[in-house]
Amino acid sequence: MSLAAYLAVTLGFAMLALATRSRGPLSTAIGLAGLVAATIAATTMNPADLVTIGGAGLATSAYVRLFLVLGSLVGLGLAVTGLATGTRRDAPMVTLATLGIAGLTLTLTDPRAAVVAATAGGLFGVWLTLAPGEDRSGATLGIRELRAVVVAGTMAIAATAWIGRDLTQLAAQPVVFGLAYLAFALAIAVRFGAIPFHLWAARLTDAAPETALPIITVLAPASLAIVGLAWTDASIAPLLVDLEAERMVVLAIAVASIVLASLAALVQDDLEHVVGYSIVGDAGVVLLAMAVLEPTGWEPARIWILVFIVTRSAFAAWAGGIRAVFHTGRIDDLRGWVTRSPILAVAFVLVVAAGVGLPGLVAFEARSSLVSLALDGPIATLVLLGTFAPLAYYARLLAIGLGRPTRPTEPATGWRPHLERLDLTSPVAWLRTTWDLNRAFSAAVIAAMLGVLALATSVGAFGGPDAAAGIPAILEGPSPSYAPPPLESGPPSFEPIPTR
Amino acid sequence: MNPALAGVALAVVVGAVVAGSARNARSAILGLVASLLFSPFLADPTAQSLGLAARLVGSVLAGYLLWIAARGTGVRTGGSRLGWPAEVLVAAAAAVVGYSSHGLGAPPLGPALAQAAGFALAALSMTAIANGRDIVRVGTGLMLLASGALLVRTALGGTPEPLEQVVIAGMMAALGGAVAVLAVSARAEGVEFELAPDRPSRVRRSPDAHPIDAR
Repeated sequence: MSLAAYLAVTLGFAMLALATRSRGPLSTAIGLAGLVAATIAATTMNPADLVTIGGAGLATSAYVRLFLVLGSLVGLGLAVTGLATGTRRDAPMVTLATLGIAGLTLTLTDPRAAVVAATAGGLFGVWLTLAPGEDRSGATLGIRELRAVVVAGTMAIAATAWIGRDLTQLAAQPVVFGLAYLAFALAIAVRFGAIPFHLWAARLTDAAPETALPIITVLAPASLAIVGLAWTDASIAPLLVDLEAERMVVLAIAVASIVLASLAALVQDDLEHVVGYSIVGDAGVVLLAMAVLEPTGWEPARIWILVFIVTRSAFAAWAGGIRAVFHTGRIDDLRGWVTRSPILAVAFVLVVAAGVGLPGLVAFEARSSLVSLALDGPIATLVLLGTFAPLAYYARLLAIGLGRPTRPTEPATGWRPHLERLDLTSPVAWLRTTWDLNRAFSAAVIAAMLGVLALATSVGAFGGPDAAAGIPAILEGPSPSYAPPPLESGPPSFEPIPTR
Repeated sequence: MNPALAGVALAVVVGAVVAGSARNARSAILGLVASLLFSPFLADPTAQSLGLAARLVGSVLAGYLLWIAARGTGVRTGGSRLGWPAEVLVAAAAAVVGYSSHGLGAPPLGPALAQAAGFALAALSMTAIANGRDIVRVGTGLMLLASGALLVRTALGGTPEPLEQVVIAGMMAALGGAVAVLAVSARAEGVEFELAPDRPSRVRRSPDAHPIDAR
């Protein structure tokens, strides 16, 4: 089974990297090799695999394959950028483990098992909070991250367990369904660090390098969000139960995250926090999708998640590239970055185009659809305008970049490639010297490549819309499986239960 | 009531009380491991052997990693400030609530004792998670909470399938490993497992791999 190959590659290389952790360069090399192998394994995955084990099963789909291909590519890009700009030595290992568990999460057909896997996938991020010399404070940040992951996981486990059985004799339908739905939506909000659950994520940004942030706060929670969307569509949306109060709570969190996170990103004085809050803002749109509760929200929500992953990763890579060129993340010290690194300027334009989008782009349409499906009237218009709030911090960064440089410390040619004469007597030393000389150039090029990938995803390349429109495999058997109703045939999964 | 299941439920809760109240780190870990080891048996019908074996291996692995993190004599953790009798009362009250609300509004597929034990574990975990001042105490609370949620899941939805049991085992082992890694890091500063005080302002840490030399 092609999924088994992917899991073996990701988890196998992750364990190898962990086993060789004391030998830093070797562990890093194994991690990078694993990410290359993971990309290949994801690309060759059969999108129609279905394996049953007992009453449960694993099923791949075109969407899962695309998710893992894009995830592996951005993971590889971020890992290499991290090497160029400075990162945690465990970053490739954590990326591999997170990708492997994400693959498992998305293919499990029983949502009760999938949420457990999604919780496990969030646990590996604690390695990225630890740095030599900062042991106790790093561990403190790590345990807070762990607390968020486990509390969110517990809520999701409780929600899926509550609904995942025969409920025809249920005594109090609206309360049960409403609480279960709210618990799962809050679990996703906590995992993304959505406002007001953002404290742990904000502190995490103090410790984790910018190139590692998307692994912890984008990739791992995204798999839980996809499970949540599938579960909501299958178990909650088809029921004729009044969930307006619960929806309002989810909508409030979503809108607060979209608007306030952009404002927070605008006033930050370092790039790491801008990246962190930009993630929270885009995650707000994912939460908006959780409030739609209609089958029509299925496709745009899943498209947006793909765009979200790639765009935020590209933005983090851009921030890493800036650090490689300027040796700082302080925004005030970055005056003139546009003229000093044209490649990063191109990457920035690509990220802005992919993230904010233009009418006609798949990402733009997906986000607009989610807003219009979740909200009505003038509020929908206001929230739609709010989704353009990232333009404010992008404009600030651009204005800084176009400003007159105030720091004469860096050579203006630092962003260009440098090639030393090949020394056949000492090729390893030559390679090391060449790599050191080209760190800034490499980081900038990778940021630009991820920017292209983000724009392509935003345009709808790689078959994203078709993959996102597909429904998860239905497993026959006693275990509940995802079975969101086809749009044309209405909701067959549950008998509607009248509101009392 | 099945007396065997009642005995298992009692063992799960007693282990959790020890984990939540002991001030010797290794005693707390032993209590936690006992609770985790008995948890998968609190199901009706009993889990299939593959799933059961996976759960046992996962629990032992999680406990072993924590045991390594707490190596040394007399290593302390926070423990309960109220003492174990108060913890017992909290667990008993929560267990009564769990037992009497079995099914939570719909016919359950698992035993009531699982829900009782699950509620007890969740209640015991609350103070550790909310007020714990050291890594092992908070980590123990998180593991109890996760285990409690899984017991409630068993009570509501019935015995998990083997594949789900394997996933649960992996999650518990990963959780134990994550807590152990953090605990070892915290101890490296020679203050056992205490959390670092909150800093008034942000401090940017330097990367530990391939640092960039200022030119």
